[in-house]
Amino acid sequence: MAIKVGGLIRGYGRGKKRIEVLQDYSMRVERGTIYGLLGPSGCGKTTMLKVILGRLRPEAGSVEVLGAEVGTPECTVPGSAVGYSPQEIALYEDLTIADTLLFHGRLQQMLPQQIAERQEWLIEFLDLPEAGRQIGNLSGGQKRRVSLAVALLHQPKLLLLDEPTVGVDPELRYRIWQHLREIADAGTTVIITTHYIDEASKADCVGMMRDGILLAEGQPQELMMPHGHTSLEETFLHLCRRTNVKEVE
Amino acid sequence: MNLGRVRAIAARKFTSLKRDHRTFAFIVIMPAIQILLFGIAIGQSPVGLEVAVISSEATDIDDDLMAKLGASDALVLHDEYTSVGDARTAISEGNLWAAIVVTDSGGIEIHLDNSNQQVSSTILVEVRNALTEILEEKGVTPPLEVADPVYGDKDPAFINFLAPGIITLVCFMFSLILTTMSFVGERYDGTLDRVFAAGTQPSEVLIGHMTAFTSILIGQVSTVILIAVYGFDIPLNGNPLMVFMLAMLLGWSAMCIGMFISTKATSEFQAIQLNMPFMFLVLLVSGILWPVEALPAWLQPISWGLPTTWTAEAFRSIMIRGWGFEQTVVAGAFVYNIVFAGIMLMVAAKSLKTQD
Repeated sequence: MAIKVGGLIRGYGRGKKRIEVLQDYSMRVERGTIYGLLGPSGCGKTTMLKVILGRLRPEAGSVEVLGAEVGTPECTVPGSAVGYSPQEIALYEDLTIADTLLFHGRLQQMLPQQIAERQEWLIEFLDLPEAGRQIGNLSGGQKRRVSLAVALLHQPKLLLLDEPTVGVDPELRYRIWQHLREIADAGTTVIITTHYIDEASKADCVGMMRDGILLAEGQPQELMMPHGHTSLEETFLHLCRRTNVKEVE
Repeated sequence: MNLGRVRAIAARKFTSLKRDHRTFAFIVIMPAIQILLFGIAIGQSPVGLEVAVISSEATDIDDDLMAKLGASDALVLHDEYTSVGDARTAISEGNLWAAIVVTDSGGIEIHLDNSNQQVSSTILVEVRNALTEILEEKGVTPPLEVADPVYGDKDPAFINFLAPGIITLVCFMFSLILTTMSFVGERYDGTLDRVFAAGTQPSEVLIGHMTAFTSILIGQVSTVILIAVYGFDIPLNGNPLMVFMLAMLLGWSAMCIGMFISTKATSEFQAIQLNMPFMFLVLLVSGILWPVEALPAWLQPISWGLPTTWTAEAFRSIMIRGWGFEQTVVAGAFVYNIVFAGIMLMVAAKSLKTQD
C-alpha cells in the first residue's frame, strides 16, 4: 500500500471562523497504480494532498505514506520520493525553463549530467519550447507542462499531480496519460486530481470526493456497475443525491 | 541543514534578482543616493548667516572682532546698524539672525533670533572662538578654555555624530525593504509548497535567501561606508574592516526581521505597512538622531532591544574614538547582532513552517 489515510480531520481557523475541510476522510492507494481523485473545486482535494506532503498537519487521523507515518523521521515524504505539481502553476516567472529544471534538480540533489539528460527528454516528451525561454513569456498550457516536467524531473516513486491537464491539448493529454501508465506499470504510484470525469475513468482506482468526504472509492467499472450506470458522471450524481437525502433526514 | 539545497535556493534567488534589471539597479543605487543626500543636506554647519556688529566708541576690540568673525564663512557681517534698537527691529523683521553688540565696558552682548537652535549655536560658537583668539593674542588667559578633547575634534561637526547613525539606518532600512517581500508571493503561488515537497527545511529556505541577498548587502554596505568616509570626510579612526563586518551583521539582523514579516504578511501592501513600526522605532529611539541618554527611562529598554542602538553606538566608538573589541560597547554590538539575528531566524523559520 502506497498511501493509507484513515479518519483524517483537518480544517482552517478557530471558533466561529472555522471552516471544516476534511471530515473523517479515508482513502487507500495501492503501489504502482494511478488513483484519480474526482471532485469539484473546494471539496478538499488540495488540502488532502498537502496533508500527504506533510505541509499541513492533520488534526486527527493517521496518514501513512510509502510505509511510514507522515511527519516521522523514517518517512521519505516530503523528500526525493515524491514529485508534486501544485494546482497553481507554481513556477518562478523570471527564470527560464532550463533555470527552473536546474533549480529543482539541485534541490533533489541530482547531478548536473542527470539534470541535463532529463531536461532533454522532458522538453521532447512534453513538447516544450527551447530551454532558454523565460517562463513569464510562455502560454498557460506551456507553463502547465513545465510544471508537470518539474514533478517528473527526478523520477519519484510517488507522483502527486493536482489538476495537471487543465488547458493541455487532447493529443498531449493522451500522451501524458500514456506516460503515467508506463511509469505506474514500472512501480510508480500516481495520484491525480481532476474535475474531468472522463479523465478519471482512465485511472485504476477512482475516489469521488465532495465536501471533505470520500463518497466512494473503487475501480471505475466497479463503481458504475452496482447502479447500472454507463458513466462515472451518473454515479457521482447518484452518490451526491443520496448524501443530500441523508443530510436532510 | 543541507548545503546543496541552500546553494540551489541562493542561486535561484540570485538569478531572479539579477533578471529584474530595474529593481537590481534601484537596490544598488538607492543606498548611495540616500547617504549622499544625508551627507549633503544634514549635519553640515550653516553658512552665510546675516549678523549685525554694533561697535562702541569706548573700546578698541571691535576691529579685531570684525576681522576674526569675518574670517569664517558662517557669518555675513553688517556694520550699518548704529543702535541696538535698529538691530532688534531688523531681527524682528527677519533681516538678521543676530546682533553682536560691543558694550562700553568692553563686554559683548548678543541679541538673537533664537527660533532655530542650530543657527544660534553656530553664531555663539563663532563669537566664542573669535573672543578666545583675541584674548590669547593679548596675552590674557580666557576664563573658559576647552582643552584638546580626548576623542573627537575641538569643533565637532554635527555630521560626525550623525554619520555613524545614518550608516546604521541605511544598512538596516535597505536590508529590511529588500527581504520583506521574499515569501509574500511564494507562500500563495505554490512555489514554496513545491520547495517544501522536495524535503527542504524552512531554515534552508531562509539561509538560501539570505545568501543571495548578502551579495547585494556587500555592495550596499561598501558604498555607504566609502561615501561617508571619502565623500564627507567622516573620521574613521578605528579598523575599517570592523565597521564593514558590523554593518554586515546589522544587515543580517534586518534581513531576519524582514523575512519574518514576509512569513506573516498576507499581501505585499501589508508587508510594507508592517515595516513601518520597525523603521520608525529605529529612526527615533535608537540614538541615531538624538542620544539614547536623552530618552525617558521606560523607553530605554526598548531602545536597547533594537540591534540598531547597539550598532550606532559601536560605529561611533569605532569611527570617532578608534575603539576595538577590547571595549564592551563594540564587542557587545557584535554579540547582540549575532544573537538577535539567530533568534529572529528561528522565529521566522517556525513561522514559515506553519501554514494555516
